Amino acid sequence: MKQIALYGKGGIGKSTTSANLSAALADRGLDIMQIGCDPKHDSTRMLMHGTWIPTVLDLVREKGDESISAEQVVFEGYRGIRCVEAGGPEPGVGCAGRGIIATFQLLERLDALRGDVIVYDVLGDVVCGGFAMPMREGYAQEIYLVTSGELMSLYAANNICKAIARLSRRVRSKCALGGVICNSANIAEEQALVEEFARRINSRMIAYVPRDRIVQVAEINRQTVIEYAPDSAQAGVYRALAAGVLENTGLTIPTPLEMDELESLALEFV
Amino acid sequence: MNLNPSHLNLSRYEGCTITGALAVSAFIPDALTVVHGPAGCAHHNLSLLHATLLQHDRLFLPPVFSTGLGERDIIFGGEDALERTIERALEREPRAVCVISTCITETIGDDTDAVCSRDWGVPVIHLHSSGFLGGSFNEGFVNALKRVAGLVPPAKTQDGGINIVGEKNLEFEVEENFEEVARLLGMLDLDVNVRFVRNETVDDISLFSEGCLNILREPALEPIGRHFFEAFGQPYLSGFPVGLQGTREFLRAVGEACGSAADEAIAAEESLQDELAAEFADLEGEAISLSPFGFQCPEFSLLSEVAEAVGLRIDPEGTEIPVPFGAPVGTTGIRRMLHQWRRFLHA
Repeated sequence: MKQIALYGKGGIGKSTTSANLSAALADRGLDIMQIGCDPKHDSTRMLMHGTWIPTVLDLVREKGDESISAEQVVFEGYRGIRCVEAGGPEPGVGCAGRGIIATFQLLERLDALRGDVIVYDVLGDVVCGGFAMPMREGYAQEIYLVTSGELMSLYAANNICKAIARLSRRVRSKCALGGVICNSANIAEEQALVEEFARRINSRMIAYVPRDRIVQVAEINRQTVIEYAPDSAQAGVYRALAAGVLENTGLTIPTPLEMDELESLALEFV
Repeated sequence: MNLNPSHLNLSRYEGCTITGALAVSAFIPDALTVVHGPAGCAHHNLSLLHATLLQHDRLFLPPVFSTGLGERDIIFGGEDALERTIERALEREPRAVCVISTCITETIGDDTDAVCSRDWGVPVIHLHSSGFLGGSFNEGFVNALKRVAGLVPPAKTQDGGINIVGEKNLEFEVEENFEEVARLLGMLDLDVNVRFVRNETVDDISLFSEGCLNILREPALEPIGRHFFEAFGQPYLSGFPVGLQGTREFLRAVGEACGSAADEAIAAEESLQDELAAEFADLEGEAISLSPFGFQCPEFSLLSEVAEAVGLRIDPEGTEIPVPFGAPVGTTGIRRMLHQWRRFLHA
């Protein structure tokens, strides 16, 4: 079983990338599970054809965690992909990070974490120990950073590198950086910039996803690009990403940059 | 014995803020306490309070409610649990409710103030008490005193006598110490207004601002003395009387603060102190050594004053005498201490 996690700045396209990656992997006949780890709980929506599935924490809130079964939290979407949304508290109260920890403990207890590949789609930044959970305890062994060429997006990706580097120092740690996925924001020299960024953090860019209107069209139709337009060039990009992830052996411990290094890197490509 | 309120010195200046807050709220007989946190926070601190009092032969178990937070409350916020628990407490018709917050509720950002400030029909007071933000028993205690002062309206006149502030509700001789201060005040024809807070009802507490002077239990409470000076304009003395000379100075200071002549009272007290030498004449010429039993930094000047007054020698070879945990209060406290010394010497 391969377990991967996608991290990156909010709004950068993690969920779109995750869902299309899961769909492309499922097309290859693999047994896939995708877990959305964001209180906004919109990770798996395209795989579920627009349905908002109940979140694990909604059920915990309503019923307590004693009586929950796997069938109540795991939903089958496109090509049998098993979808889970962790969910979270109402914005502004409680502790979402603890919610992620509780979700993982529950899924573990229900023996729900299985399949050929599990894709964890995690919110914008590793804001606290709770949101580092997918990286911890041997869950996701490969982390993929989703970023564009925008400085703040690179900054967020660089921060996540810090979390990976920190966690990788632990004895039982199995988590490493799998690579950088450039989700284009149509910036000049973007591909070269992200390639160079990846190199400097001791990793590599494993996919360049161009900006394509078909992503928005598929989304309006409540589907992934893989399902809505399987013959499109964009679907080919996601399939290539899936192949790259499956065959990836280049796992590294990242070397995060200092802020001024990051800024001067961005300047080189202006 | 310890006159220095430093964190290095004494367990009172360590420990948990919740115990400190509880040592205030539990002594308002017609108020109820809610500890907003996991059940253990209430249980452990109440047990400590209970056990301490039991050791002093006092059977007292104040009613304390716990919001009993579990993981679900931590993830989704504990404010609902707090509301339910306040409602449960109000069923017993208290005159006020004290809500003690804990480390975890501050960590997850529960808006305890907002819940408390709702219109509950009676005052619901939030005693901030998250130890991880810094502080210990003493900070919890001082902060609780400040917050309970929210029950006190501004006064029109300040002729209501003397307030006693911050009595150590958990110390063995709490009543004896109070009585000694009341005796000394009586010598100046002064009465006690409010014991803030020891076994005073919510209505009693509201009379606090009518007091003309605040006498703090010990100098560590000076922040609260300043707080009340700013809030109600009341001057304060920073501690109960300690030592023979200290007790006479206490009378003078109270007299000055209240505008009454103290000379007569001081002379009377001095002759009472002179009687100590006669009363403990059997101790004259004996040798004592003072043992801090390893866990205190003794302040010996007061004890050597007492030893000198009754003709005792302090000598490392002398009979070992334990240094008292707290300084004896007033002349009566010194007499009790001398009785104890006699038991050690004549054992």
